[in-house]
Amino acid sequence: MSEENTTTLFGRDLGGFSSRAPAVAVAVGGLLAIFLFGLIFPESIAGTLTDILTSEGTLSSALRLSVPIALAALGGIFAEKSGVINIGLEGLLIISAFTAIYVTDITGGVWVGFAGGVVASVLLALLFAVVVIEFRADQIIAGLAVWLIALGLAPFASQVIYGRPNSPSVDTPGTITIPVLSDIPFFGALFDASPTVYLMFLAVGLSWYVLNRTTFGRWVRASGENPKALDTAGVNVSRIRYAAVLLSGVLAGMGGAALSLDLGQFTGNGPTMVNGKGFIAIVAYLFGNYNPVGAFFSTLLFAGLDAMQTVLQLQGIGLPRQLIRIIPFVMVIIVLAFVGRTRIPAAAGEHYDTGDDNR
Amino acid sequence: MSAGDRARDVLARLVDASATERILISLASLVLAIAVGTVLILVAGRMTTCSAQSAVYYFNVGFCYDPVLVFDRLFLGALGDPFRGGWSPDGQFSIAMRETTLLIFTGLSVAMAFRAGIFNIGTQGQMIVGGLAAALGTLWASPFLSGTVGTLVLVPFGILVGAVFGGLYGMIPGLLKAYAEANEVITTIMLNFIAGGVTLYLVSDVFKDPNSPANQTVPLPDYAQFPAVLFGSRQDFSLYALLFGVVMLFALYYVLEHTSFGYDVRTSGIQPEAAEYGGVDAAKTIVSSFALSGALGGVAGALYVTMVIGKFQAGVPAYGFDGITVSILAGNNPLGVGFAALLFGVLKSGTTVVQFATDVPPQLVGVLRGLIILFVAMPEFFRLIGRRLLPEEDKSRAVATDGGERIADSRASSDGPSDGGVSGGEDE
Repeated sequence: MSEENTTTLFGRDLGGFSSRAPAVAVAVGGLLAIFLFGLIFPESIAGTLTDILTSEGTLSSALRLSVPIALAALGGIFAEKSGVINIGLEGLLIISAFTAIYVTDITGGVWVGFAGGVVASVLLALLFAVVVIEFRADQIIAGLAVWLIALGLAPFASQVIYGRPNSPSVDTPGTITIPVLSDIPFFGALFDASPTVYLMFLAVGLSWYVLNRTTFGRWVRASGENPKALDTAGVNVSRIRYAAVLLSGVLAGMGGAALSLDLGQFTGNGPTMVNGKGFIAIVAYLFGNYNPVGAFFSTLLFAGLDAMQTVLQLQGIGLPRQLIRIIPFVMVIIVLAFVGRTRIPAAAGEHYDTGDDNR
Repeated sequence: MSAGDRARDVLARLVDASATERILISLASLVLAIAVGTVLILVAGRMTTCSAQSAVYYFNVGFCYDPVLVFDRLFLGALGDPFRGGWSPDGQFSIAMRETTLLIFTGLSVAMAFRAGIFNIGTQGQMIVGGLAAALGTLWASPFLSGTVGTLVLVPFGILVGAVFGGLYGMIPGLLKAYAEANEVITTIMLNFIAGGVTLYLVSDVFKDPNSPANQTVPLPDYAQFPAVLFGSRQDFSLYALLFGVVMLFALYYVLEHTSFGYDVRTSGIQPEAAEYGGVDAAKTIVSSFALSGALGGVAGALYVTMVIGKFQAGVPAYGFDGITVSILAGNNPLGVGFAALLFGVLKSGTTVVQFATDVPPQLVGVLRGLIILFVAMPEFFRLIGRRLLPEEDKSRAVATDGGERIADSRASSDGPSDGGVSGGEDE
């Protein structure tokens, strides 16, 4: 049995690395083709696309749309690297998006609200951690439960407090503009953005550093790959997993708070304003192979598509609005079809028993 | 995830559990969810404002929402108040039965996939695709027939079309999982969004009813819709559809437990490596399980179209997601799905009653749904309580996390250790 396992794992290992390159090549190649075609024939659809791709507005809205997805993806990386698949990221985003607006509304302070959103997300993540680590619940089912609870709770609370699923408008964090640098064409968008965008860059860098260059990061990785070894080395696996899941709560909470506060409103109809961003975050970190920087760039790819579809809808290039809106979801499936064989941490999804009472 | 290890682990744990225990855990989860819901209603009732007269008082504290009233409406009101005089099956009761019927199919759809070790979150999308296909197929065929013959041919035809298209849509994540190892949880969620978007486009443009402002198809002729029998005509419910659902419960149970296909599905679900070693074509089993699961979702869509609204309209209610709850609560046992679907049918029917009778936001039911799943997912929590209450109980009892129904399999197929004398249950 165990030999069989190792071979499967190695098989997946190789598959994962060999199938990633063509996918990236296809994506980059496709973009380049559109770009060149657009430069040669500015009047064609590709020309319009090139215009959109190279506009500063697209980059700026792509960055804005990236914030919740990238932060949730970073959270997902920590949790899953530690061996806990956190499929409830969507729920963490929803609960923090609502709480951030609510706290901002009652205190008047945008950053107080931001902190409130993070606290709400951490509390929900703590519930998830207790259920999964203490009570050994199936991680996927518990994650779905977290999503469903938040999906009901946030509009419920909004209905109780505001009498409707959408909150009133509150202040936004505004933008930070760096003089001179913001005047650079295209890349100026990087220096004229919401503080949450800078926060996202900071979080990406810090996450990479923590995961790859600190003892804690090494423990997190060991907890997901070989918990037994970590245990033998005298580190409490449960404690590391708790820390990692709570960290995913902090990061996803920042994402959800940024999402709603940047717009100054929570909308809770249907799938709420989060609308699948938590699930796209999961795909983003899978595509980024659990590397925070990789996850950021794949997020930017999805967010860029999302930003483009908004512009495309406005310009009306023949494709109906409803179909343009599903482009990011179709992209996710295509990406997964190419890189589906991601090498996930060996012990992810499994409960680890510290004692020797189980076997 | 080293699937082999995990499966072995699950198997080892499940051998020790029992069907009775599963039922007890499901009931305890329900009770606990209601308890947490009660606290939530009380807290929410403190956060909102109302006049002093309309508030209720518990322990001398005033609350704007009354949990007793809420749960009374949610359960008894949902059934049309059977304990009060003048009960008629043609009122709210029919709505509960209608919802139950649809949930039987979405619940079976999810359960079917779960048993093969697949998380099909995409029942919602498969239902949407099946529903639209059923509507369009029936509309295409309806000019050729009419009257009773029309009903006898068109209704089954619509269901068949729904099943085929739902099944085909379900095969997409199946193929992606079998041949590209794409995680089905994510692909099916994405396919839900895609199904919603594409069908919205189709019914707002290509197939739109020109006489209606809504995004919907032309209404089906009356003879192409499910006929109401005995009662239910006022509430778009047909007893035939419910009976069809009950037959399907037993049919799926039979297929899973007593056919070689069912055996392949169950063994792949429990221990994919061993199943493959034993000659099961894993990829084929994944794709066909997904197709069957999608077909059941598609039937739910067809029933929604031909029984409930009589056309396809964008914005299909979330029966597919409720199907996940139904299946998890039922321990993925087709027969258990019947009971769980009844419970959630009542909850769904009760949602509207609560909305009429109280000021409590209807999203409460969504929260309850999430809580029930959460509690069902953590049987160890209940065992802990059980051990506190009954200290003499065997302490070495291991954990069951999901798919309680697999218990029965593992007992049947492995002649595993006895489950500690606790026997009996829905499938005994």
